[in-house]
Amino acid sequence: MRLTDVMSHAGLAGYAEFALILFVLAFLGIVWVVFRPGNKPAMDAAARMPIDDESTGTPEEETRS
Amino acid sequence: MNAQLDSFKYDDAIVRKFLFATVLWGVVGMLVGVIIALQLVMPNLNFTPWLAFGRLRPLHTNAVIFAFAGNAIFTGVYYSSQRLLKTRMFSDALSAAHFWGWQLIIVAAAVTLPLGITQSKEYAELEWPIDIMIAVVWVIFAVNFFMTVARRRERHIYVAIWFYIASIVTVAILHIFNNLSMPAGLFKSYSLYAGVQDAFMQWWYGHNAVAFFLTTPFLGLMYYFMPKAANRPVFSYRLSILHFWTLVFMYIWAGPHHLHYTALPEWASTLGMIFSVMLWMPSWGGGVNGLLTLRGAWNKVAEDPILKFFVVAVTAYMMSTFEGPMLSVKSVNALAHYTDWIIAHVHTGALGWNGFLTAGMLYWLAPRLFQTKLFSQKLAEVHFWFATFGMILYATAIYSAGVQQGLMWRAFDETGRLQYPDFIETTMKLMPMYWMRALGGTMFLVGMILMAYNLVMTWAKRPAKYEEPVVQAPALVKTPGETVPNIFAGLTIPGHRKWEALPLLFTVWTAVAVIVASLFEIIPTFLIQTNIPTIASVKPYTPLELAGRDIYQREGCFNCHSQMVRPFRYETERFGEYSKPGEFVYDHPFLWGSRRTGPDLAREGGKYNNLWHVNHMAQPRKVTPNSIMPAYPQLLTQKLDFATIQKHVDAMAMLGVPYGDMVKEGAAVEAAKAQAAEVAADIAATDPNYTGLEDKEITALVAYLQRLGVDIKKANEVAAARTTAGGQ
Repeated sequence: MRLTDVMSHAGLAGYAEFALILFVLAFLGIVWVVFRPGNKPAMDAAARMPIDDESTGTPEEETRS
Repeated sequence: MNAQLDSFKYDDAIVRKFLFATVLWGVVGMLVGVIIALQLVMPNLNFTPWLAFGRLRPLHTNAVIFAFAGNAIFTGVYYSSQRLLKTRMFSDALSAAHFWGWQLIIVAAAVTLPLGITQSKEYAELEWPIDIMIAVVWVIFAVNFFMTVARRRERHIYVAIWFYIASIVTVAILHIFNNLSMPAGLFKSYSLYAGVQDAFMQWWYGHNAVAFFLTTPFLGLMYYFMPKAANRPVFSYRLSILHFWTLVFMYIWAGPHHLHYTALPEWASTLGMIFSVMLWMPSWGGGVNGLLTLRGAWNKVAEDPILKFFVVAVTAYMMSTFEGPMLSVKSVNALAHYTDWIIAHVHTGALGWNGFLTAGMLYWLAPRLFQTKLFSQKLAEVHFWFATFGMILYATAIYSAGVQQGLMWRAFDETGRLQYPDFIETTMKLMPMYWMRALGGTMFLVGMILMAYNLVMTWAKRPAKYEEPVVQAPALVKTPGETVPNIFAGLTIPGHRKWEALPLLFTVWTAVAVIVASLFEIIPTFLIQTNIPTIASVKPYTPLELAGRDIYQREGCFNCHSQMVRPFRYETERFGEYSKPGEFVYDHPFLWGSRRTGPDLAREGGKYNNLWHVNHMAQPRKVTPNSIMPAYPQLLTQKLDFATIQKHVDAMAMLGVPYGDMVKEGAAVEAAKAQAAEVAADIAATDPNYTGLEDKEITALVAYLQRLGVDIKKANEVAAARTTAGGQ
């Protein structure tokens, strides 16, 4: 029996829908991670990174270590 | 507590090198674009085989995508990554190897493509030795980049870096798997895949080259350089993360929308369409995020050419990411596919999004890299308006051309016959639009030249010695207990501290998203038998026909002629029976094409006699008045290289094409010579002016063209036996 025989008779009609559900769940997970409360300070700090990057060690960084 | 500060310098010399390469190749790539636009209205401009449309068109696309946009990406990545990660690039030697290696690849492309050395897969034309070079240089870039990430002094990895990581990982996967091929000499190879599967892999690659070469890295640049230019943080960092993940999850599925109504299985086509339509949302989320970054700074847009470039870039991104999903809807695609509408769509993205974003970025970088004021702000303004009007002229002309030709192809008269049965009628209608396109393209090119001049003059005013400011940043402390909020807290890899593991974890997740999505489409295409039923009457090409097919590829005929009749009445009336998946099982590579500048050739075999083809290749306008096809008189005098035929047949046999006894030493050559003698005798019998063609290239090409679509006519006894092309 070849792999193609197995795949052809595996009844994969719902294959694409399954993938879609999988990815919607992953999406919901990311939404939760991104928007969960308590993340705002980290997000605001991250958003400023391109603006702050020419400086030589911001006070915030110094407090980190 | 005062932290221990590390002192280091950024490597801006490498950024300057990439900047100049971007400008140089931008001008070259767009100049070639203008030349091929003019060739379409003045076919006599195809005056040498090396510079004919079929060979120059891939040079144009490769130059603007990989040379211009590629170098632009590296310019921005090398500048922004060092600053966002607070460290110098990992290795100056690797940076230099990356730069010179990439330029060498571009030069290799610029030499081989005009010579007709091509794999004939769109945006993957370069032959296997150059493909290996690309893979090596890409790995050098990846090592340099990931080691820089590993040595960073900033815990959080800014979203731009995420986009860069996704691009690096995905481009590597796409490049390797689409270019798998069987070499048949140093400058010739045959795709590992055949027909439908090759088409599927090609457009999985082709679409994601747009996604992960022309979109995600540029979004990374947008998320860095727009806040810089506007001097305010991105509108919503949360939205940028959502933008990132949704794009990575969805883009990889969308490739099959390039193959609607072809012989691709219907389920794959539908899946591609659904994901393409969904892509609209993250794309617009990201676009809005970019535009709203300018909140409170809109007054600056009127004065600052850099912001003007960025605003148009993001607007063009939103327009083309609205249009893309629309074009992926099957009924819209039925009209647009094979027409100039697709070319217009591509150019809105490439000129508008990639071109304008690059220009804005380079104008922002130039004074900082050359440590002097920009030579002329006014010239940058002039560039902006040239580029804007050039793009609008280009796009509107070619949109009109696409819709017009699409509608003409499908028009029936009151008697139920095709209203425009002669293909050339539909081509002639496009000429005014083609002139307008050439004008628009020229304006865009003039803008690029103005930018090149402006940047070179800025460089000329540089200080005698560049200052290299010493940057200080605290090293990341390698002890647990850091208090920085981490947006991925809780998602650690055992044995690693959070901040150390993050890039690795992140890269793995991105790769998983891309690979899983790919496999969901690839596995059924390759392994489910009913997707590609074989047809008993479809046989491999004869050795001479194979040699003719090689010439067809070398001359780039697939750039203008499709070999795929879609199942519509207006297509079958014009070209013949619609194409079946089983017809292509020996086609390494597939040659379905993506644009019909000339008519489809899937059913060309037997339509005309051999002499017609000889005359048509020698003097196309004598046979078809007003044809815009280049003439190929050299094929009547160039000797066919019989010596390579055996090697080519052997390579195809190794790919599983059942050549039987033809693989015996000399058998293929003998068969080719015998068939060539027959074809040449037929031509000479019809027109005694043509003698001695039995060892000329034209004979092989005619034999190939006369074979196209012939097997299916014998296929009334369609085989019940079904095997997958995967087993071939």
